[in-house]
This record gives sequence, C-alpha cells and structure tokens, in this order.
Amino acid sequence: MFKKILFATSASPVCDNAAKVAFDLELKWDARLIVFHVLGIPTHGFSPFVTDVRTGEREQVDPDYVDWVKEEMRNTYADLLKDTENVTLEAAVGVPHREILRKARDEDVDMIVMGAHTRPEDIGASRFRNVVGSTMQKVAKGARCPVVIISRPCTTCWKLFSNIVVGIDLSKASGAAFLWAARLAREVDANLHIFHAVDLAGTEVGQIKSQEEIEAHIATVRGKIENLYLPQLKGYEKVTVMVREGVPYVEILKQARERQADLIVMAHHTREIDPEQALLGSTVEQVVLRSACPVASVNRLDKTVDTSA
Amino acid sequence: MPEGILCNKTPVDTVEQLQALLADKSGKQYYEEMKLLDVDTPALWATIQKSLKSRLRTWLEICARCGMCADSCFFYLANDRDPTQVPSYKIQSTLGDMVRRKGKVDNAFMHYAMDTAWSRCTCCNRCGMYCPFGIDMGVMFSYLRGLLFSQGFVPWELKIGSGMHRIYRAQMDVTTDDWVETCGWMCEEYEEDWPGLEFPVDKPNADIIYTVNAREVKHYPEDLAEAAILFHLAGENWTVPSEGWEETSLAMFAGDWVGCKKQVESVYAAMERLKPKRMVVTECGHAYRATVIEGPYWAGLKTGQTPVESFHYVEWVAEALRTGKLKIDPAKRIKEPVTYQDSCNYIRNAGLRECAREIMSYIAEDFREMRPCGEHNFCCGGGGGLNGIGRYREQRNVGLKVKRDQILATGAKLVVSPCHNCWDAIRDLEEIYHIGIRWSFLKPLLLKMVIVPEHLRPEE
Repeated sequence: MFKKILFATSASPVCDNAAKVAFDLELKWDARLIVFHVLGIPTHGFSPFVTDVRTGEREQVDPDYVDWVKEEMRNTYADLLKDTENVTLEAAVGVPHREILRKARDEDVDMIVMGAHTRPEDIGASRFRNVVGSTMQKVAKGARCPVVIISRPCTTCWKLFSNIVVGIDLSKASGAAFLWAARLAREVDANLHIFHAVDLAGTEVGQIKSQEEIEAHIATVRGKIENLYLPQLKGYEKVTVMVREGVPYVEILKQARERQADLIVMAHHTREIDPEQALLGSTVEQVVLRSACPVASVNRLDKTVDTSA
Repeated sequence: MPEGILCNKTPVDTVEQLQALLADKSGKQYYEEMKLLDVDTPALWATIQKSLKSRLRTWLEICARCGMCADSCFFYLANDRDPTQVPSYKIQSTLGDMVRRKGKVDNAFMHYAMDTAWSRCTCCNRCGMYCPFGIDMGVMFSYLRGLLFSQGFVPWELKIGSGMHRIYRAQMDVTTDDWVETCGWMCEEYEEDWPGLEFPVDKPNADIIYTVNAREVKHYPEDLAEAAILFHLAGENWTVPSEGWEETSLAMFAGDWVGCKKQVESVYAAMERLKPKRMVVTECGHAYRATVIEGPYWAGLKTGQTPVESFHYVEWVAEALRTGKLKIDPAKRIKEPVTYQDSCNYIRNAGLRECAREIMSYIAEDFREMRPCGEHNFCCGGGGGLNGIGRYREQRNVGLKVKRDQILATGAKLVVSPCHNCWDAIRDLEEIYHIGIRWSFLKPLLLKMVIVPEHLRPEE
C-alpha cells in the first residue's frame, strides 16, 4: 500500500513528530522514502535571489548551497537514518507547496507525510489564530494522493493500528477518503469507524431545528451510508457506523477520542485556500489542530484502490 | 587580449557555459575577471559606426545640458538631487564620451559605463517625456547596454539570463516538455473545481494565443491556472503554443541583440504556425515591450507589427469586463482604498493607461491614483533588470524610496500591480521599509470577484 512515501519537511523540530512516522513507515512497509525540503522561495520577476525558508534571509542558490542544505538535513535526521535502507534526501528551490506537489506528481508517491506547521515561530501564532500552516492546506487541497498531517507525537506503529475513524460528508471527495481508509483498515486489520456529523452550526440564525427534524436527517444519512458505502466494503466486518449532530469538527474529535482512534481520515475539499480567508478554518483544519492522532486528508480516488494486483 | 574563463566577449550558447557561470556564486570570479578584461576598441568603434544611427547621433549632439530631465528621474530624486544622477549627465559621460573618443576607452571607463547603464537607469523612458528636444535617455541606455554586452561588460545575472534565452528560448531552463507537462498538470489540478476547464496546447486557428513568463511555469504555475480559468469563464477559444510561449526577454535587459532577435522570432513562429486571431500576454511589462513594441524591429518585420495583433493582459481584461464576458459581483468589489502601479513598459511605452483605469472602475470602489500617474508615473524602482542584479542591490533599494512615498501618499494599503517586476519591487520595498501594504496581480483578484456562470459551477 505504501511503496513510495514523500516526507515533506521544513527540516526543523516542528517536523520531528512527522519524521518519526515517515521513517517508521519506510521501515515497516519496506517503502522508498523521499525526504524533501524546499529551501528557498524565488521572486516573481527576474532575479537569482531566493528567500531562505528557514532564516528568511536573501540567498543566492548555487549547487554548493543545495549540497550544504542536504548535509544539514543529513545531520538533522542522523539518528533516524541509522536504520534505514531506502531513503533519499532531496532539496529544491521554489514555493514549498508547489514543489511538494510537483515532487509527489513526478514520483507518483503513494502518500505525503508532513507536519502541520512550517516554521517554529509560527506555532504559537498558528494555534492562537487557529490557522494551520498554509503549505499544509495547499498541499492537502492539490495532492492526488493522501496527505497525512502529524502535529503531535504518534507512538503507535501504523502496522498496529486498531481503530481508524473516517469522517464523511457524502461528497465525492469523501468517498475517496472512505475507500482509502477501508483499504488501510483491511491491510492492518483495524476497526473502521464510519462517522458523519449533521452540521447544526450551519443552521440559519433564528431557525431552530426540532428534534424530530434532526433525527429524521440522521436516519436519512444513516440510510445513505448503509446503501452507498457499506456495500463497497465487500464483506469486511470490523465496521461501525455513527451519525451525530453538532459542530462537525468537535464531533469527529469526540468520536476519535471515544474510539481511541489511531488515525482520522477525511476529505479536504474546501475551495478556499487563502489562509486569511479560511481564518475560522474548515473542518479538516480544526481537526488537524486539535487531534491527538495523525490526520489523513484524501480527496481523490488515485491511491484508494490497489492497482498492483 | 586577455579574456576571462567566465567573463569574456563570447555570449553563452551552451549548457556547459551556463552551468559554469551559475556555479560561480554571486559572480565573484566573474567580476574579478572583468577587472582584467581588455576592451577591443577597434571592434567597439566599428560596432558604433555601424549601429549608431542618425536619431541617437542627433540626440547626443543637440542635448543642451539644460537639466530639464533632472527632476524626471527617480534616481535623481531618491539620491538627494545628486547632479551625477541627472539623465543627460549620465548618458553624456558614458555613451557620449565613448562616441567622442571613437571607442578608444579603457577597462575603468567600461566599468563606469556598466555601473551607470544598469544601476543608475532602468530604461523607464520617463526623461524622454520631459526633454524639450524629446531626447530619450532610456533608449540611449538600452543602446549603450548593447555596446557593453558586445565587449563582455554586463552584470553576471544578465549574462546568464541572455544565455538562458539563447539555449532554452526562455529566461529560465524550462524545456518544451516541462512547459507542456505543466499545462497538463494545472488542468488536472483545477478541473474538479472548474468543470470543463481546458488547457489547449497547439490548437490551430484559436481566437487567442496566450504567451507567458517562464517564472510562472517554473515556480508559480497557479498563475497559468488562473489565466486558464478566466479564459474558461469568459468563454474564450484560446490556446498556448508548445514552442514560442515565452514572451519575456532578459536578452533585452542584457543588451544581447542577437538573443533578443532569436527570442522574439520563436514567438512569431508560433503565431505563423498556429494562425491565431490575436495574441494575449500575461501580466508582465517588459515582456510586452520586448515582443510587441520592440520585437518586430529586431526581427526585421517591415510593418513594425507582430504577425498577429497583440494585446497586453490588461487590454484583454478591460475588454472582457466591457463586453460582459467577465462579470463582477458588485458585492465583492474591493471596498478598501486601492492604488495601481502603472508599469512603464505597457503604460508609458505602449499607451495602455486607460485600460488600467477601466479595469479599476469595475473592480474597486475607492480607487486612488498615485501622483504622478499614468504615462507620467515613476518606475517601480526595479525595472530594466535592476531587481535581479546583486551587485546593485543597494542602489536599487535607495531608488525604491520614490515609489514608497507615492504609495504612502495615496493612503491605500493595497497595490494592484499587473507586472512581474513591479510586483517584486513593491514586495521588496515593503520588506525594506515596512509601510504595511499588500500587492497583487489582477488574476487572483478577479477570480475572487467574478460571477461564475451557472453551467460552469462544480456540482455540489
């Protein structure tokens, strides 16, 4: 399922938790791991200068500078690199989200792993303002493969996952999230918890839904899940279905907590990618900020089915 | 006649030469070698005799040193009215002396001429508007750059830039495959949000052939996607050429006349091959000047016109808004005070001032002109290649003060800047002077406020 993984890193401590997961996947799934760092942001007009992603300083990139950055990466991940066989370190110049997407496309990777924040000094700001790093948002939006975002330590090996929560909103994109979650659950023999939250926050001001209306809605959604989603599992039985009402991200987090989830899978398909505009954040961003376990964003069908057979 | 390994009179025509230059960080060795570079004075004089035509000869002779051009130059204003920054002084002490001395100049003179031609003039052509005789120092500095290039006295970055055009027919190392692949990639990435979105490559007889800046392909392909989406929403029958798609010309900034010709010929060949009704170029100022205004002469086209009628992006946007191909949602117009950076290359040098005003009338509720504005506007401070030359960073930063003060005086916090170089200069001036502004190309602004026709919306 994971033959080739792209670990996109800011090569700073913010990505340490993500690094551990990425290297563990390389080890346990015998995957090829590409550790990828985008080092400088170029100008729009003609200029050889780039803005160093880590220091914010102006730099002129030459082959020596790229080698130096790779050496730094090698030092940063020295401990993790000890036990590895199939890891390559790569660095590129460009806008981080764009180069990550380009690399993922060129290499046709099965999954992208990244931390939630791009710069250490952004951590406080991000959490305070409830905005997740815009690089993560843009990668999650544009990638054809699943993107796993790790913002807190993940101690469970993926092979030992026992509970996967997949949040669905009945959209096409969340259909892809469901298929991928099901594929992973089957592969590691985990329980798959299908979850949908009826969004009460979306109700117009002054309108209060009656309990009957809410329950009728829940019953409809439950029916759709049973008719449209469950048959796709082709007999896989370690499945639960839960529909609740409330604020979606809160309900998903509660569900993850109740189920002791090792992974949350969702679709990230908001059309708004400007972080300023998404200040209040879409559901997936809120979940990423608060989740204790990794969050996978899956929007497209590309890597949801096994094509190797 | 000593020539350096990196700094010499030979233009860059091979990948090996290019890589050797690129490996020389900041041009350290390059500029060391330049100190020893001999001037081939007979060749220089021969070039002058062949290429210095009556217009420039007359200009050099009739200049009365009246100084009317002084206040027109933003470098003069930004440098406390330093008399050595008066345009007429700058050109007379370089090109003027070179001609009077029949090309018999030394290495020190060439260094002085190079530093003046690239760090004290951005070829914005503003002085030409104020000279009582109509003498345009910008045109003469462009010519001087050509003479300097032929002798190897050219800033390191621009030697590389002109080499890129010679090798790749683009200002960066973007191959035909890279370009076509990027078009497909962008279509793939955005087609779910914009059902029916296409990125047609090499479609013959389209209404519009769209040409771009290689930096969009290399680093900012969203810009290409945004252009495609706007054409899509406007219902245009458009295409891009697989070859001849690059409209910019660092060769022009470098004074590489041969490179200039090769570059525009590739674009004109695409026009001949695909026979579009017209050409539209992206939001880039110098690209338009190079390919549409100057290019036909470089290519020896007798008409002085491009093979098909050519439009800057602001012309297309103004037309699309005027004819209703693109409709703006009135609720989404820009409410805050906003100003517009008039790019020298398509406003002053091509007269597109009113297009910009027309666009702003559709998208902004509180549009504030800079003073002066339109064809009288000052250069952003980074034109003519100056933004990209490390050797002249300090001089560039000082020059930015004029634009900073112009923007501050408008009270606007948002600057619309449909030119890659202006965009960079304004970004840089914010980084240096912290005046609290934002800046944007037109495409992302339009995408936020355009009404998407019912049949083009994605299914929910």
